[in-house]
Amino acid sequence: MTQSTPSPPKLLLRFFRLYCNPQLVEAIEGDLVERFEIRALKKGQKKAKQLFIKDVIQLFRPGIIRPITGAQKLNKFGMLKNNMVIAKRQLLRHKMYSTIKIGGFAIGIAVCLLITLFIKNELSYDKHIPGHENLYRVVNNYNMEGNIIRFTWFAPPFAQAIQDDFPEVTLAGRTNEGNNFGAGKNNIRIEGDMQNHYEGDFIYADQQILDLFQFKMVYGNLEEALAQPNTLVMTRKKAEKLFPGENPVGRTVYINDNTDRPYKIGGVLEDLPSTGFFQFDFLWTLTGREFWNGEQASWESQNYQVYVRLNPGTDIEALNPRLSEIGTKYILPVEKRNGNPNAEEEMKNMSFSLEPVTDIYLKSQDISDPYQKSDIKYIWIFGVIAAFILGLACINFINLSTAKSANRAKEVGLRKTIGSQKSHLITQFLTESILYSLLSFIIAIGIASVVLPYFNQLAGKALTLPWSELWFIPTMFFSSVLIGVVAGLYPAFYLSSFRPAAVLKGKLSMGSKSSKLRNALVVFQFTASIVLIIGTFVVYQQMEYILNAQTGFNKEQVIQLRNTQVIGDQPDNFKNELLKTPEISSVTISDYLPISGTARNGNMWWKDGRTKVDAGSSGQNWEIDYDYLKTLGMNLLQGRNFDREMRTDTSAIIINEKMAEALGIQDNPIGAKITNRSSNRVVWTVIGLVEDFNFDLLTAPVRPLAMRLGNAPSTTSILVNTQDMAATIGDIQKVWEEMAPNQPFIYEFMDQNFAQMYVGVERIRNILTSFAMLAIIIACLGLFGLSVFMVEQRSKEISVRLVLGAKVTQVVSMLSFNFMKPIFLALILATPIAWYMMNEWLNDFEYKISMNIQLFVFAGISALLIALITISFQSLKAAFTSPVQGLRNE
Amino acid sequence: MGKNHLGEFEEIVMLTVAILHGEAYGVAIIEEMETRLNRSVSIGSLQVVLKRLEDKGFLKSELGEATSVRGGKRKRFFTVTNVGKDMLRTSKEQRMQLWNAVPDVALEFIGL
Repeated sequence: MTQSTPSPPKLLLRFFRLYCNPQLVEAIEGDLVERFEIRALKKGQKKAKQLFIKDVIQLFRPGIIRPITGAQKLNKFGMLKNNMVIAKRQLLRHKMYSTIKIGGFAIGIAVCLLITLFIKNELSYDKHIPGHENLYRVVNNYNMEGNIIRFTWFAPPFAQAIQDDFPEVTLAGRTNEGNNFGAGKNNIRIEGDMQNHYEGDFIYADQQILDLFQFKMVYGNLEEALAQPNTLVMTRKKAEKLFPGENPVGRTVYINDNTDRPYKIGGVLEDLPSTGFFQFDFLWTLTGREFWNGEQASWESQNYQVYVRLNPGTDIEALNPRLSEIGTKYILPVEKRNGNPNAEEEMKNMSFSLEPVTDIYLKSQDISDPYQKSDIKYIWIFGVIAAFILGLACINFINLSTAKSANRAKEVGLRKTIGSQKSHLITQFLTESILYSLLSFIIAIGIASVVLPYFNQLAGKALTLPWSELWFIPTMFFSSVLIGVVAGLYPAFYLSSFRPAAVLKGKLSMGSKSSKLRNALVVFQFTASIVLIIGTFVVYQQMEYILNAQTGFNKEQVIQLRNTQVIGDQPDNFKNELLKTPEISSVTISDYLPISGTARNGNMWWKDGRTKVDAGSSGQNWEIDYDYLKTLGMNLLQGRNFDREMRTDTSAIIINEKMAEALGIQDNPIGAKITNRSSNRVVWTVIGLVEDFNFDLLTAPVRPLAMRLGNAPSTTSILVNTQDMAATIGDIQKVWEEMAPNQPFIYEFMDQNFAQMYVGVERIRNILTSFAMLAIIIACLGLFGLSVFMVEQRSKEISVRLVLGAKVTQVVSMLSFNFMKPIFLALILATPIAWYMMNEWLNDFEYKISMNIQLFVFAGISALLIALITISFQSLKAAFTSPVQGLRNE
Repeated sequence: MGKNHLGEFEEIVMLTVAILHGEAYGVAIIEEMETRLNRSVSIGSLQVVLKRLEDKGFLKSELGEATSVRGGKRKRFFTVTNVGKDMLRTSKEQRMQLWNAVPDVALEFIGL
């Protein structure tokens, strides 16, 4: 042929050669080319090329593609099989190393798995709400002298106003979760039944809340379940408890025995998913409800949460600034009418914004609202810890693999001499590590499923291994292969790089070549572990500090009876009956308690005469009785308690130190006149100054507080002085049953309620402690493995030393010291890191321990001790082994 | 499909190989079939059948000399084995038997 012979597309031809069965390739390629040449002559090159492509594609078919069976494949499979056999032998021959590698890996993976499930659960919050992308709540951002205070309480007409004034808002609804209005726990009684049931979590809600959140219904109609006045809906579990096996819609119930206001059941909701910020058992309708005269039209109280649904595609950033129009349009005129001289100024400091409901659970720690929330911070912390623990496990794998490399060196040398290529060896070592990793995954899943119930308890969750979910098994499989590759890559390259000549001559320094890397990795492991240990110590001490802190009130030996408003108009009688029991020293009845979750309110306070001049200071306004201070052990600094003999005490008030400070009357508080109304002149005379006590979490400073005589009867607190708590509670119950027949008897201990406030912090402490222990265990496993190896390596040296008269102690200290060096280094590195991290954490607390040197010394010594114990096992074993054994092979 | 059965395409390929008698290689077979039967055949489908027939023992093949055309690739020449010849003959006889059994009327009807 001439030079101008057209040639078929090279790339396609190469592709053909790639897939074609080698036995057929020559003849078929010839045919392809010949056909192309013929066609090129007959039909032109372009057409020939097209047909050529068609030919190549048509050739890509079974029978022509390299066969799955046959010599070629058999060989590869054979190598894989051989690799497996070698891996299995290695695994069984060095049982201890294998156990450490696989065990450490398995623990690491199990931890990661649990944490992943935990994080996945946390991130799934409120994603189940239909149309959650367009569901928001309103947040009030109040700028108080530069500090932005964010909260979600709004005036009753706010929801309607936002819906009317902004076309982007298609629907707005409110909830009211204030204990002052009766939300929370209540007695519920079915009409025609005598027995009251004390049930939790009543919340007031508009019918619109049902439309916004689109709850699933068991009975009733979602569109109208709360539309009528005096209706209520309940969750399925409560319906099944109160009305077993029937549809309760339309039935009548009484709340707290109030027969004047019977409630009709409007519907039953499917139980709420646990992954929702919004948790309740009963929803009371707000339709036709007014908590006081004119309340629903008033812009002066703020008791409602407002939720809105927006038009899809609304630009939130553009909408947020416009929301303050509500303030200028509705709130400002009211404030001006009330004669607030700073109304304009205050309005400028107030702004509203919309927050997606899916952000409430994890991303609104700075917002004051009535919900139990978590913190995105902990997601990060746990994620990092999981990665660290997995990293520690990988490090063990790498360390032990390279350490044992000396034993494999001869094998590598021999294989290379016979003709193995580097890539073959890498494949072999990776096969081994993937096998280890697969085994670890299987064990890890076993560990995780055993530990899961405990972890659930620890984390306060109800997680399960998602076997039924499609992603689970493939993900686990691929991650195990991936981790196997990651952990095996360095050892594989390291081992496969041995030069056969050097190895077979025995020139290779036995595995010590990479000891620098090993030491660095050990330092890293122990740094991480020590940081975790110090962290755990700090968290632990802080928790102890808080739980035993001087709170300024007495929480020991106080029994609290719930729902005591059912006693009705005879509280004094009840008190007297209780006081007949000699073990009971004092009784008080109140709604307001220094335990979070009990009644709270807010007022603006002024020194009398300063109203309409000062901006006022916000402070609590509690109703207490004569025995409150005595029963709860509050410390009266100046003045006196309320006195039954003094008729004027109805206008007397007791304030705390913070209130005195805020009003500027700290120098001479007794006798000062203060007021909490800007219009009606109700003036209170301060008769007592009480020492500040904590009525919020100890993460916050004490706030101003004023207490006056009143009737707030939800909880009776009883101070007892008894050795036999059970008998005393029996006595109390007898009185209760006499005074309140058919009412459930519910008592709690105040110190437990107090501890309950810190359940979240305690949870973090427990989880952190477990992780720290795991990290230490994994790090120690690695250290143990390395020490075994080192002692093995130096057994001859040790034997010689012993024969020549070295003492056991000398040998032990020699071996141990070598290992302690990286741990000392780790301690030095870990100290500042831990210091910084724990300082950050402690900054969240208003009352905190100071981090002291002892803490670090203590944590350091513990880490060193743990490491020393780990190492000394092997050191001692080596020192006490008869030198004959070590030298026998010579 | 038993060993004693030939598919239609298999039979045509074997016959073509027999026609070419010693000159039967991929492109030649395709061209022969395309000219005689006016039937387009892809290299892919032909190669698969050739391989299958060889596996069954009806065909055998050997590589020829290298030539300057075809990119210097050798041709693989196919010949029919004795077993293959038997098979073809059996196949033909079976067809003839069937042909003979067909009453004339039946075929006249469809215009043959």
